[in-house]
Amino acid sequence: MNNTLNETIEKEKTQKGFARHTQKILKGNYAAAEAAKLCRVGFVPAYPITPQTTIVEELSRMVANKELDAHYVNMDSEHSVFAAAMGAALAGERVFTATSGQGLFYAHEVLHAIAHFRLPIVICNVGRPSIPWNIWSDQTDSLAQRDTGWVQFYGESSQEVLDTVIQAYIIAERLNLPVMVVLDAFYQSHTSENVWAPEQDLVDEFLPPKKFTGSEIDGINPKAVGGLVPPEHYETFNYRYWTDVNQVEDLTNEVGENFGKSFGRKYSAIETVNITDKTKIVFVTISSITSTVRGVLNKHPEIGLLKLRLVKPFPKASVIKALSVLPPDASIVAVERNFLGDSEGALIQEMKRALYGELNFKMFDVYAGLGGKDVPPLTIEKIIYKVKEDAEKIIWIDLE
Amino acid sequence: MEPAFKFLIEEEKVFSGGLSCRGCGWALLVRHLSSILGENTVYVVPASCFSIIAGPYPLNELKGSVVHTVFAAAPATATGIRHALDKQGKRDTNVVVLAGDGGTFDIGFQSLSGAASRGENILYVCNNNGAYMNTGIQTSTATPYGAVTTTNPNPEYKKTWPKDLMGIVAAHNIPYAATCSLAFIEDYRMKIKRAKEIEGFRLLLIDGPCPPGHKTEPSQSIAITRLAVETKLFPLFEVEHLKYRINYFPKEKLPVEKCLKKQGRFKHLFNGSDNGRALKDIQEHVESYWNRLLKLEQLSHE
Repeated sequence: MNNTLNETIEKEKTQKGFARHTQKILKGNYAAAEAAKLCRVGFVPAYPITPQTTIVEELSRMVANKELDAHYVNMDSEHSVFAAAMGAALAGERVFTATSGQGLFYAHEVLHAIAHFRLPIVICNVGRPSIPWNIWSDQTDSLAQRDTGWVQFYGESSQEVLDTVIQAYIIAERLNLPVMVVLDAFYQSHTSENVWAPEQDLVDEFLPPKKFTGSEIDGINPKAVGGLVPPEHYETFNYRYWTDVNQVEDLTNEVGENFGKSFGRKYSAIETVNITDKTKIVFVTISSITSTVRGVLNKHPEIGLLKLRLVKPFPKASVIKALSVLPPDASIVAVERNFLGDSEGALIQEMKRALYGELNFKMFDVYAGLGGKDVPPLTIEKIIYKVKEDAEKIIWIDLE
Repeated sequence: MEPAFKFLIEEEKVFSGGLSCRGCGWALLVRHLSSILGENTVYVVPASCFSIIAGPYPLNELKGSVVHTVFAAAPATATGIRHALDKQGKRDTNVVVLAGDGGTFDIGFQSLSGAASRGENILYVCNNNGAYMNTGIQTSTATPYGAVTTTNPNPEYKKTWPKDLMGIVAAHNIPYAATCSLAFIEDYRMKIKRAKEIEGFRLLLIDGPCPPGHKTEPSQSIAITRLAVETKLFPLFEVEHLKYRINYFPKEKLPVEKCLKKQGRFKHLFNGSDNGRALKDIQEHVESYWNRLLKLEQLSHE
C-alpha cells in the first residue's frame, strides 16, 4: 500500500469501526494475550521477564478462568520455555509464548532448533536490550536473532500486534516456520490504545484449528526426530528451508490481503507513505517510531516513509518496487533502535543488501532511541536537517 | 513342553544393530526398560551416548518414538510433549527422558529440577557412567572421587565428591526415585514396573558400565557393576515421597578396592604415591553414605 498524505489522514478521521468487533482499550501486552486466546492456542509455557510479564500473566488468568482451553505451565527459564514449546509443537499443538531481551538471548539455542525442526510456533517479543542492563524499548534482542530462521514482524500499534499474531499462525502453519511478533517495550507494551478485538467466530473462520499432518510425535506411529544428520543429507534440509522461507514475503501480502477482506484491516509486508517521484528523503522505520514519523510527514511534504512490517526474511521485492519511483537524488535514512556492535544498525544493513545492484541512493543511518530513549517529533526533524546537511553517513542523534 | 526357563524379555522392543560400545550399559538398560514400557512410548534424548546409540538420521533403534533434543532441556521438551499428548487425550503414552550424567547432573540440572518440582508426569532415566563419555571421557559432577578423565588427568585426578543426585531429587518430594544396577536385573525390572505404575515425576538412576571410559574389559561390565553394589559404592534403594527403602544389603563386607582395582580409571590410587590416602577417604565416604541411608530408612518407618 502506498498512501498519500491526505489518504492517511482521511482514513484516521473516518474510521468508525469494524463489523463483528468490539472496541476495547488495551495495553499492547493485553492485545498480544487477547490475540493468542483468539487463536485458541493449546499450550503456553511461560517465564516472567519485564516488560513481557503481563502477557503471560494475562494468559494464566484466561486459562484459570477457563476462557482459554490450554495447558499453561510455569517453566524454570526461557531456555526451558522454548524447549517445552518445541516439545508440544512436535506433538502437534498450537503453541504461544512471550519473552523479552535476556529471555530471548537465553533461548537463542532453542530458537535455532525450533526453526530447523520446522515448528509453527508463534511468540511475542517485547523488545529490550542486554548489557548495559536496561529494560526499556530497544530492538537489539530480536534483531540479534535475525539468523535463527524465525520470521519476524514488527507491530506499529497494539491493533497491528493483535492482527499480526492471527496472521502469523496462518503463515507459520502454512510453511512450517516459527514467527516472532515484536512490540515495543512500554511505548506499546504498557500503553493503552483503542483496539478493535474481533469476535471469536470471525477468527475461527479465518484461522481454523491446527491440522495434523501425520508427522506429529505420538506413541502410536513411532518415528524419530532430531537425530544426527550426516553431511550428505545436511544441506538438503537447508535447501528445503530456503525454498520455503523465500515464500514468506508473498504469503505475507496474500494473508494480509485476505485478512483485510475478513476483518476490514488490510496488511502487507511493507507500508509506504508519500513515496513519489518528488520525495527527497525516505525514512525506514519499524514499530512505534513509525507513528512519530507519520506525524512529522504532515509538516514536511518532501519526506516519505517506508515502514517495514516484515523484517525477516527481508521483503526485498516489495522494497525495491516501492522505492523504484523515487528520483535518483533521493536519500534513504534508517532509524535504528538497535545496536549490534557494528558500524551500522540492522535496518540499513538489510536495506543495502536488498538494494545492491538494483537501486542506488544515498544511504544514511541514524542511531536513535537506544535503550528506550524517547524519539520525539523534534528528533525526527533534526534527522531531516542532518540528512540535508549530508555531513555524516552514520549519525548518533541526541547523544548526551 | 514347558521351556526349562523363561526369558525376562519376552518381546524385544529394540531393533538389533544399536551403536553402543561392547559392554555399554545403555544397550541392556534400554532393552529391559522398553520391554516393560511397551511401544506406546515417546523417548526424549538430550545429547548423550544414547543420541548415537538410538541411531543417527534416519534410523531409530527403538520400537517407540524418539525425540532428540537440546542438551540442557530434555525434561522441558518432555514437559511440552507430555502436555500436548494429555491435551489430545493420549494420557496412556509414556513420556520418558533417557539422559546421561552430563545431561542430568550438570547442563540439564535446572530443567530436571523444574520438571520434578512441577510434578510433570514423566519418567526420567539417567544412565550414570560418571563422565562425558560421548565426547571422550571428560569430568562431570557425577565423576567419582579418585577417577581420572581426559580433563582430570593424573596426578590431578578428580578430588571432589560426585553430586548426590538421589538426595537432591528425593528432596523434591517426588513420588518415586530409585537406583538400579544392571547386575541386579530383577530388582531393576521391578523398579521399572513400579515407576510405570506411578503417576508424576519419577526417576531411575542406573550405574552405567562404560569400558572405554572406565578402562575395563567389556566382558567384565556386569561383574564390576555388581561389585559396585557389593562394596556399597552404589547402594540400591528407592525413595517414595521422602520415604527411603534399601533394596539390597550386601552379605559380605567388601572393601571398595575390590571394585576400584578392576577399573583403569582408578589405577593411580594403587601405585602407593599417596600411601592409600584416597582409597581410605573413598572407603570412609562410602560407609558414611551407607550409614546415612540406614538412618533415612529408619526415619521412614517412624
